[in-house]
Amino acid sequence: MEPSLSPSPCLQYSPPELASPPSDFNLSDMRKLMDGHNLQDRDWLFGLMIQSKLFNPRFSGGRVFVSPDYNQSMEQQREMTMKRIHYLLDCGVFQEWLTGRGPEVEMRKFALHEVIGMYDHSLAVKLGVHYFLWGGAIQFFGTKRHHDKWLRDTENYVIKGCFAMTELGHGSNVRGIETVTTYDSKTGEFVINSPCESAQKYWIGGAANHATHTIVFSQLNINGKSEGVHAFIAQIRDTDGNICPNVRVADCGHKIGLNGVDNGRIWFDNVRIPRENLLNSVADVSPDGQYLSAIKDPDQRFAAFLAPLTSGRVTIATSAVYSSKMSLAIAIRYSLTRRAFSITPNQPEVLLLDYPSHQRRLLPLLAKTYAMSFAANYLKMIYVKRTPESNKTIHVVSSAFKAILTWHNMRTLQECREACGGQGLKTENRIGQMKGEYDVQSTFEGDNNILMQQVSKALLAEYIAVQKRNRPFKGLGLEHMNKSCPVIPSQLTSSTLRSSQFQTDIFCLRERDLLIRFAAEMSQLQAQGLSREYALLQSYQLAEDLGRAFSDRAILQTFLDAEAAVSSGPLKSMLSLLRSMHVLIILEEDASFLRYGYLSPDNAAGIRKEVTILCSELRPHALALVSSFGIPDAFLSPIAFNWIDANSWSSVQPQQGATVPL
Amino acid sequence: MAPLSSTQGDTDQVLTDKNLFVRTLVLNRPRQLNALSSQMISKLLELFLAYEEDSNVKLVIMKGNGRAFCSGGDVAAVVHDINRGNWKIGAKFFWEEYILNYVMATYSKPQVSILNGIVMGGGAGASVHGRFRIATENSVFAMPETALGLFPDVGASYFLSRFPGFFGEYVGLTGARLDGAEMLACGLATHFVPSARLSSLEAALHKLDSSDPAIISAVIDEYSLQPYLKDKSTYHRLDIINRCFSRRTIEEILSTLEREAVKSADDWIFSTIQSLQKASPTSLKISLRSIREGRVQGVGQCLIREYRMVCHVMRGEVSKDFVEGCRAILFDKDKNPKWEPSRLDQLNDSMIDQYFSRVDDEEWEDLKLPARSSYTASALAKL
Repeated sequence: MEPSLSPSPCLQYSPPELASPPSDFNLSDMRKLMDGHNLQDRDWLFGLMIQSKLFNPRFSGGRVFVSPDYNQSMEQQREMTMKRIHYLLDCGVFQEWLTGRGPEVEMRKFALHEVIGMYDHSLAVKLGVHYFLWGGAIQFFGTKRHHDKWLRDTENYVIKGCFAMTELGHGSNVRGIETVTTYDSKTGEFVINSPCESAQKYWIGGAANHATHTIVFSQLNINGKSEGVHAFIAQIRDTDGNICPNVRVADCGHKIGLNGVDNGRIWFDNVRIPRENLLNSVADVSPDGQYLSAIKDPDQRFAAFLAPLTSGRVTIATSAVYSSKMSLAIAIRYSLTRRAFSITPNQPEVLLLDYPSHQRRLLPLLAKTYAMSFAANYLKMIYVKRTPESNKTIHVVSSAFKAILTWHNMRTLQECREACGGQGLKTENRIGQMKGEYDVQSTFEGDNNILMQQVSKALLAEYIAVQKRNRPFKGLGLEHMNKSCPVIPSQLTSSTLRSSQFQTDIFCLRERDLLIRFAAEMSQLQAQGLSREYALLQSYQLAEDLGRAFSDRAILQTFLDAEAAVSSGPLKSMLSLLRSMHVLIILEEDASFLRYGYLSPDNAAGIRKEVTILCSELRPHALALVSSFGIPDAFLSPIAFNWIDANSWSSVQPQQGATVPL
Repeated sequence: MAPLSSTQGDTDQVLTDKNLFVRTLVLNRPRQLNALSSQMISKLLELFLAYEEDSNVKLVIMKGNGRAFCSGGDVAAVVHDINRGNWKIGAKFFWEEYILNYVMATYSKPQVSILNGIVMGGGAGASVHGRFRIATENSVFAMPETALGLFPDVGASYFLSRFPGFFGEYVGLTGARLDGAEMLACGLATHFVPSARLSSLEAALHKLDSSDPAIISAVIDEYSLQPYLKDKSTYHRLDIINRCFSRRTIEEILSTLEREAVKSADDWIFSTIQSLQKASPTSLKISLRSIREGRVQGVGQCLIREYRMVCHVMRGEVSKDFVEGCRAILFDKDKNPKWEPSRLDQLNDSMIDQYFSRVDDEEWEDLKLPARSSYTASALAKL
């Protein structure tokens, strides 16, 4: 072949839609399955944001994109967050968020909150503090007098609430907080005090600028006796926004993300509040100063107080999934239009996603995100249908899923950022910024590591109870432990690897074995004279492996259940492909399968090979799979579309002709 | 100027004119206000596709003969077919019309539409998707479908949803009329040219030998002026429109309007409520949902959805309001349609869902969009 003498032509943007074959599954059906509920409400809210100047629409490459201006100062970002909240309030978005009842109302609230988070995590967190934490505390810890007085005003933002639990000296260990409240029977008031610097309330979202009221978590001392942690309502600002007497407030300052949320610190200098401001669903103090509680056990009383944090974990877990979806949609669309290096001379450069290595970086994360979508839907469902009996399951599942889904999100964001190369560094392309915005998820409402320890502790308690009472396992999905131990074939063919039987078996095997090992190690350590608590500290490695094993098995179960509800056809086949990818990548990446011998080295090698085959099978569907997320174009970013136009010289010139790109 | 040559067929419903690199298409059914017949649609589609292939064509101008640009699709013919039990003939009509809309939306060459008169329904579909839309002091725009028992189609769920704020919901649901200045303000028109200058503008366009939008825009700019919005223009009421028409459902839109009416005795609010009350309840509900879905979809996706919807409308499984609306407005002209269901609360979600589902008929298929060699950035369809 003659060497080409003509200069290489300029790069042309070609939309991924042109090169991708039409999907053989229906995108809307897939979206319905992923989003699960309230699709019209979601689209309505997307529209509310796209159509309002408050949401910072920018024109690029003939399209409009919405996302906050992160180049604004912290103070400006906080003011914009409040303006956006007032706009959404006026549009009726928050109707029934606190005054409504029932699963439908709660599912609508979740759906709308998820959509808000896709615009900006600050906006979602600011609302989450007000509605789920402040509002939730009143709903759950309060009684009728509190509901009547506060819920409607909270829903309409007549008052702005915050939630003062964490202190400088105590975060996850809520029982150790140092704020003290006493009762003055002469005046019928409680007196709240921060006795030392480490008792200052810290990270309190809303406290620095806007909140008028707060829930205060405090030790309650009655007649010289500490009754443990209780929750109170205190006003911290008047209607003009001035700080109330005996309250001091300071700013937490600029953060690595979430600068649209005004996190603050609060000191209480013997602040007096009416006796009625004790949230008294669990315990009360009589006018003459007697402590009254139906729950005698302080441990149980404390557990009852933590219940509202569950809804926070549910929203965190789901918003992590939507963040992953956004980053994958952007990175995968970019990888379908960006080329780099020719493998043969004079041939076009190769599309990023045609590199097997690039497929291996993004497509397993895509499959896992699908799995976690189902997990999040399941979590929401058990939460809204909660009963007193299901509380333990919800606590364990929400702890596990919150940790796993948020860790997955951070990993996905980093991989997607790198997969976009230099373009990933631009704030307008969202992914890089989201790393800072979402990092907090592994810490707030329960540090991920501590949550996972709680999961393994709960499993251990279940195991010991079953042994002691000689009854079968029931609940937490542990019923498989009642059956005989699954056997993994020594030769794993491709079709075995892709079968749900094998996938379930190997996850159950791992969970079962790790639980038995964990229990054995614990009892061995305790036999050596270690306390239960100390033994738990020593067994952290097994505890971590077990927490993962439980989560992986539970997530797979939600995937299988979702799949079972779909009738045979292209959609079901696609789900089964994604499920296999999800499971096999865990088998490949999690060292426990080789460490404890659930897989032989030969099998592990076979799985690694199968992953590359799955990558190439998913490759043609990559576009359809991210389109099925149902994220409006305006919520993605310029590199997800014509990034050559978006960066052209004319794009930096004053706009000509139509201002509205019809 | 070369004499207008007639196209083949009975009545010369589309006239064409040739000037160097420019082709002008004239909608020529003045007594019907240039309502689009199926022959006209076929002819336009044929010409547009041919011009796209022809390297001697750089620019396509569209205009209407008489006092209308185009008053819409010829729905009277469709209703006659439905009444004779032939809804599938109607389906074929809409299929072709929507394909024409799609071709225009993804056209590789600039289309300049001169909207010197009435632009309604299908007339909007035949112009708004093109690159340049010129309004004049004679322009009157409306999407009157909800009063006919239909819904804003021809890709209206795409362009209405892209108006500023919730002006699109207002225009699409109430059938409100817009003048040239308002069309420019909301983005329907790209330019405003006084009608007295149109012939010189056309002469200037005829000399062009370029498809570059910047060059064409510069030529039109020379004849354009910035019109003033009338004091009474609804465009000054964007605040209240946004407040009311952003609501999630028709019922909430109405109740918000009623609350506003209590706050201030305002004729505009009153007449807006009235036009919603006069429209078909079914039409209102499916139109709102269509615009909302359109807001997050590409134009192709919008047309596919609208085609499903229009087929359900013609089949009349949930409501026969389209036939009734055309009877009352177009045929009997009693202006008193008897809508069925007659009230919003008689329509549940599953009845509305049906309009958005595939049509349960062996021979029926979803609108198949032609593969287009060039995608314009804004028209690129996604989910």
